[in-house]
Amino acid sequence: MVEPTAVSLQLQIIGVVQTLGLIGIAPLITGIMRKVKARTQKRIGASIIQPYYDLAKLLKKDEVVSDQSSWIFRSAPWIMLISTITAALFVPSFLPFSPFNAAGDILVVIGLFALVRFFTMLAGIDVASAFGGLGASREMMISAIVEPALFLTIFVVSLSLGGTNLTSIASSAANQFASGVIIMPSMIFAVIAFFVIMLAETGRIPFDNPATHLELTMVHEAMVLEYSGKSLAMVQFSQSIKQVILLSLFVNFFVPVGMLTPAIGLSAASTASTALSFLAKAMLVSALVAFAETRVAKWRLFRIPDLLAVAIASSMMGVVFFYFWR
Amino acid sequence: MILLQIDLLTISAAALLIATFAVVVRRGFLDWLSGYRYQALVLAGVTAVIGYITGTWEIYVAAILTLAIKAVIIPKVLLRVTKGLSGQLSDFNPYVSVRSSIIISAILVILAYALVQEMFANSRLDSVARAYLPVALSLFFIGLFVMVSRRIALNQIIGLLIIENGLFLFTVSLTHGLPLLIEVGIFADILAGIIISGILLSRISQTFDSLDVGKIEQLRDD
Repeated sequence: MVEPTAVSLQLQIIGVVQTLGLIGIAPLITGIMRKVKARTQKRIGASIIQPYYDLAKLLKKDEVVSDQSSWIFRSAPWIMLISTITAALFVPSFLPFSPFNAAGDILVVIGLFALVRFFTMLAGIDVASAFGGLGASREMMISAIVEPALFLTIFVVSLSLGGTNLTSIASSAANQFASGVIIMPSMIFAVIAFFVIMLAETGRIPFDNPATHLELTMVHEAMVLEYSGKSLAMVQFSQSIKQVILLSLFVNFFVPVGMLTPAIGLSAASTASTALSFLAKAMLVSALVAFAETRVAKWRLFRIPDLLAVAIASSMMGVVFFYFWR
Repeated sequence: MILLQIDLLTISAAALLIATFAVVVRRGFLDWLSGYRYQALVLAGVTAVIGYITGTWEIYVAAILTLAIKAVIIPKVLLRVTKGLSGQLSDFNPYVSVRSSIIISAILVILAYALVQEMFANSRLDSVARAYLPVALSLFFIGLFVMVSRRIALNQIIGLLIIENGLFLFTVSLTHGLPLLIEVGIFADILAGIIISGILLSRISQTFDSLDVGKIEQLRDD
């Protein structure tokens, strides 16, 4: 059914619907993570659709912009939101197909994430508050180590599943699972590395605390501290979308259970079932992330490279296992 | 079926390597001990897998012995011995930092795989030996590295135990089981070694008030 290079109007429409769905559930996933975290800490927590209310309320509010800031500060939220939505258009979620599939591969997605991060850092520095600069320099340090780890992990995944094209990766992962290979040995190491990187990229607890504005240790929140109103809504929404993109990459690379394969064929019923299974898997993985976050304390900034070294070493061994397997 | 077997072998080898890294990434003595216990559990599982594939009942006995001695008795003995020691048990200032030792250990694993590939390029190894020999060799290297890179004397013992696990895996995967008498002898040997090193540890801590190996070098005959 779905050829990696086939571009028909029907597939494009389905792909756009899929991406809209992915963007639509992004705040829901954030809400689920907060809820799981609250429950594991014996709190009741806000409702899982609270992030939607937050976004709606922020959109209605007035915005305060410092008169010391330049156009960078005002345009950065737009760039963040548009880049993450463009990245979402590259990522297959419940169908092994994405609308921008022919235009680029996973390296483009990583590049778009880097663009988002770059403009977040610029916006943090632009307002010349002490917190902004602090957060930007920390983010720079972390991202300089996350990126090699991320690339090594992508190498392992692309070697094991053939190619960097997200559509072909997702469909070959699904085919392999359907043919009885539950997990390839090299992918075991890639799972570990990718999980650590997912925590680092979304600013989860050993790296950064997403739930605080009151700590000297904050990284991402320090950079976007000056935003309010619509801009803050855009920043938060783009962060949620980035998180759900990483989740869907994780799910499609490593847990392709219930993914559509050519054997099943594209129909309304099969699409609905894969969409449901994707939603279930995404919720499970996000609950797992939230649970892992509760288990650990935030690490001292200079110990963070230790954890990222684990990711790098793990993906190095994944490469070794790929070449010496058999 | 053959594919499934190879998968089982490689996945268990991967699990053993991950268990070994659990010792390398930690900094406290209790964490090392739990890492070692986890490694011993996985090693017992790996031994049972070898027994299942080769169909030798003696290897099952070795697996049970591994489980009993390495996963239960040795950690208990070490905990009891270290209870009365003075000086800190955790290594906060190792010779090689944790992050570099993780990367170096990964490089050692690559080295082990390349070495096995070179050494046995012309000989015909069965699937068990091909899956586990490189892991055994990397356990050996990582154990040596853990021994020389940390300051606290307890770590030398953990390193020695990792090396011993590597040697055990090496013999089992290459020979498909030694005679039971020899296996039992080896296990008794490890146990005696642990008890002796426990005594040595308590002497070190009595004499120097610390388990830091760097301080032992300061001994001078004035």
